[in-house]
Amino acid sequence: MDVDLTHLDDTLLLQHIRQGGREAFAVLVNRYADRFYRIAYRLVSSKDDAEDIVQEAFLKLWRRPKLWDPSKGAKFNTWFYKVVINLCVDHQRKKRPLGLPQDMEMADGNPGHDVLLDDHQRQSLLDRFISDLPDRQRQALALCFYEGVSNHEAADMMGVTLKALQSSIMRAKTTLKKKVKLYFGGGSI
Amino acid sequence: MRMDPKQFREYMLIYGTDILNWPEDMRTPGLKALKSSLELQAILEDEERFERVLRESRYEDPDPDLAERIISASLQKEDKRPYSVAGFFSDIFWEFGMPNRALTAVSLSLLVALILGFAIGFFYPSGAISSEQNQINLEAFLYYEGDVL
Repeated sequence: MDVDLTHLDDTLLLQHIRQGGREAFAVLVNRYADRFYRIAYRLVSSKDDAEDIVQEAFLKLWRRPKLWDPSKGAKFNTWFYKVVINLCVDHQRKKRPLGLPQDMEMADGNPGHDVLLDDHQRQSLLDRFISDLPDRQRQALALCFYEGVSNHEAADMMGVTLKALQSSIMRAKTTLKKKVKLYFGGGSI
Repeated sequence: MRMDPKQFREYMLIYGTDILNWPEDMRTPGLKALKSSLELQAILEDEERFERVLRESRYEDPDPDLAERIISASLQKEDKRPYSVAGFFSDIFWEFGMPNRALTAVSLSLLVALILGFAIGFFYPSGAISSEQNQINLEAFLYYEGDVL
């Protein structure tokens, strides 16, 4: 007889997974795949890479479910965010920096002329500004601004103090605001 | 607690433009300050425009079958896991680490039985001949040979 595991919390699902429970693993993947994909995408800016990273993270969990130790006090999703973030950082280190499309040159040479930028160009520039941020600032922005994670939780996920996290968000937004004003023109913001 | 424009700007960067989402102890002073200051209202509008620009950042949804793909990959990975000595021993101990006590007890019993079997086989080999038996066999052979000759 099939037992419905969807109502179980993460801790109980992980107990099943430790005993080889494939159904429990499927429930956990269905519960979290999209959420962890979103944060991976924000950090690596590529759909394929983000999907691969999330898959790799879940497969690590499947092969070594004891890596998550509930007795250490961390919630499963907080711990798993850390796993995904670390995989994204490793991935970014291996990857070359993003190049700017050729049609961006005009905008680069004449900052402030927002009328010259179409939506696609604005989006590409913004993505480039975000990817140019230091790792920690990008992570803070992705977690707190794009994912709406609380500051306390984000600090825990990133393994930094609350002050350090808040400082990272402020620096990230200040840098981005300057660049946006410079390249998109004062009328944009 | 009074909030000056510098503080207001900082909180806006940290917690976002929706003041209702700010921590409780900052929310009320923030709303009060905003109501009474045109400067703060201008700061808020500026920040809201900036957040709208940030939300233009590209985002692509994952494939709808992402979860299914991960589950299928877990099946394949399990079958194709490369052999390694460390992995072999890790698997053995992982089995013993299972919380299923009955399975652990059966596994341990089988292991003890195997060790006892080896020990008995080593100290009392069934094919071995004692020196006394060897002497008797030799005498019988000699006697038999002499009789024929």
